Amino acid sequence: MQISSKEVFFLISLITIIFLMAPLFLMVYVNLYNRRKKKHIEETASLKRSFENELLKSQMEVQEQTLKTIAYDLHDNIGQLLGLTIITLGSIKIDDPVKATEKIAAAEDLAKRSVKEIRALSRLLHGEELISRGLIGAIAFELDWVGKSQLYKISYHSNIKTLPAKAGIETMIFRLFQETLHNIIRHAKALEIMINLDFINDQLILSIADDGIGFDFTETRELHKGMGLQNIQKRVAMIGGTVTFDTAPGKGTTITIATPY
Amino acid sequence: MTLYFTVNTIIEFSCLLVACLCLYKEKDPIWRLSILYLLFTCFTEVSAIHLRKVLHQSNLYLYNVFLLVECGFISTFFYFLYKKYVNKSKWLIGWLSLFALFYTLELISNNFLNFTFKTASALSVAFVLASLYFYYLILKDEKFERLSIYPPFWWVNGTLIFYFGSTSTNIFFDYLIQDQISIFPQSIRYRIFNILNVLLYCCWSYAFLCKYLQRKSSSSSV
Repeated sequence: MQISSKEVFFLISLITIIFLMAPLFLMVYVNLYNRRKKKHIEETASLKRSFENELLKSQMEVQEQTLKTIAYDLHDNIGQLLGLTIITLGSIKIDDPVKATEKIAAAEDLAKRSVKEIRALSRLLHGEELISRGLIGAIAFELDWVGKSQLYKISYHSNIKTLPAKAGIETMIFRLFQETLHNIIRHAKALEIMINLDFINDQLILSIADDGIGFDFTETRELHKGMGLQNIQKRVAMIGGTVTFDTAPGKGTTITIATPY
Repeated sequence: MTLYFTVNTIIEFSCLLVACLCLYKEKDPIWRLSILYLLFTCFTEVSAIHLRKVLHQSNLYLYNVFLLVECGFISTFFYFLYKKYVNKSKWLIGWLSLFALFYTLELISNNFLNFTFKTASALSVAFVLASLYFYYLILKDEKFERLSIYPPFWWVNGTLIFYFGSTSTNIFFDYLIQDQISIFPQSIRYRIFNILNVLLYCCWSYAFLCKYLQRKSSSSSV
């Protein structure tokens, strides 16, 4: 069968149309993919921005917490010591040299204790640079401070000797630790606080447990009572980690934070 | 005089005009070189019409010469487009050497009388692949470019449409060159190339315009 010229014309035109449509679709596809790339870049930038905002917030909260502790310490500890010193010095009677010597010695002792407390406070003020000591050092320092009150039995275990410095993640984890610890102090009515810090398979695992009153996790979360809980969950997600709450009324609380490090 | 005004010459001269207006102050030498290339294209087209219509001679050898310039310019342009992403100077040298070899062999086998359509077909395939590779580089690049106003993208679009679209005519070259179908006053090949030329030069003109706007916006923001 012989193909006519008209048929050849039709055939060639058809092939040419198909061959023109193919690049057209390709151009549309490349354009679409490129738009998705733009969206992805924007999303990444937005995530980075919110991480930086959250980090800044964490840094400010760490500072705020430090100032609160200082205010508490000045009022309840140093203030009282200095008050006692004033009372002791005020009660000295010069005509009774024996008692006066005793009271002066007592006032001197109170003044020395005040100086010691102020030095410790000064160290805490430097605690604004707490993170520069590294996460392990910062946690140990915070626990020392809480332990000073002698209200809690604190046990701290860690299999880590050194951690590579990652300022952003360290600040976030430290703030999570600080928030959890202060939640225990404020609400848990605990006697014992147990902290574990482990580094397993590139995962940093921080576990904070107490023997306090515990709480109903689902109820607290649903009633939005625990803004702290949501905050913890949000921040842990931001550093790509996971958090588990093991708690029930009357059974204490264990919070475990695992994050890639 | 009117015989010089064809769809091809009109669109080529229009593109040359756009190139002159948009690219004469361009800092990028390869884009500026487009003006010379288009000038040469227009010269070839007009000369080919003159040879065929006035002197009644074959103009195929003219297109043989043009093929050399075409290959050299388009290949170098692609090389400069790739340069932003990868450096493939060895590829360019290798490809041009291979092309020169095929071209010479075909010329010799044709006794310098016929158009080197096999080499032209190979050229089309190579430029289609080069265009696809450019798309791949765009997709792979982490940086985002607004493609609707990105000059290299539109330059490559035009090139891909032209060379991919001309594949069928290249395949049937032998038949079409002798096409004497009475119901159609001009050969199908000529018609198809009219359409392809319009698409190619429209895309290129738009690319030149984008390049001009890009240069204007960058110079005003400095």
